[in-house]
Amino acid sequence: MKHISAVWLLSLLFVSTATLAHSPDKHKKSAEKPKCEAMENMSQEEMNPDDPVVQAMMKKCGFAHSGAGERHAKDSMPDHHRTNAKDQQHSGHDGH
Amino acid sequence: MKILKKLATLAAIGVMALVAFLYSGIYPMGADVPHNALTYWALETLRERSVAKASSDIVVPDLDDPDLLLSGGADYNDMCVGCHLKPGQSESDMTIGLYPSPPNLSMPPEEHGHSHANGGHDSEQKLRRQYWIIKHGIKASGMPAWGATHSEERLWAMVAFLQKLPELSPAQYQILTARDDSDSHH
Repeated sequence: MKHISAVWLLSLLFVSTATLAHSPDKHKKSAEKPKCEAMENMSQEEMNPDDPVVQAMMKKCGFAHSGAGERHAKDSMPDHHRTNAKDQQHSGHDGH
Repeated sequence: MKILKKLATLAAIGVMALVAFLYSGIYPMGADVPHNALTYWALETLRERSVAKASSDIVVPDLDDPDLLLSGGADYNDMCVGCHLKPGQSESDMTIGLYPSPPNLSMPPEEHGHSHANGGHDSEQKLRRQYWIIKHGIKASGMPAWGATHSEERLWAMVAFLQKLPELSPAQYQILTARDDSDSHH
């Protein structure tokens, strides 16, 4: 009887490890962080704040993007892009 | 009556010849042997006309939301880039080995090298076509039907991303498509 129990236990152990081996986490692609520092080197043409691509990159890189957040985003943008961003602000919205 | 008999006889011979051809195994089916020009034209026309008809009623939503680019970009990088490439990449094992070769979607449509049997597309038709192909795939082509495993929103997000992809630099592509640990799209 003890012998049979041991066999059952070993079988269960084997099955459980097989299950763990197929956990979805094992198949997850390795995550890659965005290389936001590359935005420092982008030209002003590439960094048009009205462009959905630029808005998406800023969102990805953690720049806030609404109301005061827009001002924060422009403050946080690389220096050589800020002038372009300020130029595109509507009158009366200037404020830091 | 005689003419009808002759036509029926010819049709029967034609069908038997076709069946004999199919069973003979002489037509090369390897992906490394291109179709002849006639077969290629026929298959391209069949595909394009079928997709155009099937997609004609699709309503295209607004695709300018930056969130769509982030969602679609991450999915594209996970599921599509092996065949359809990314900025700075000109080929992969899949583009070399598959037939027909998957279009390089990081290039503008006119540079795909991927002819469309019905000529140019207006912009709405192009979006409907892309959405339909992503959702339903293409038979015997290697293009899967992603609609079986992805929501409508994610499919449209990929369409939105495809519109911007040809304009992206490698650095922009990397930022938009990076799926770090905080992303929960999968």
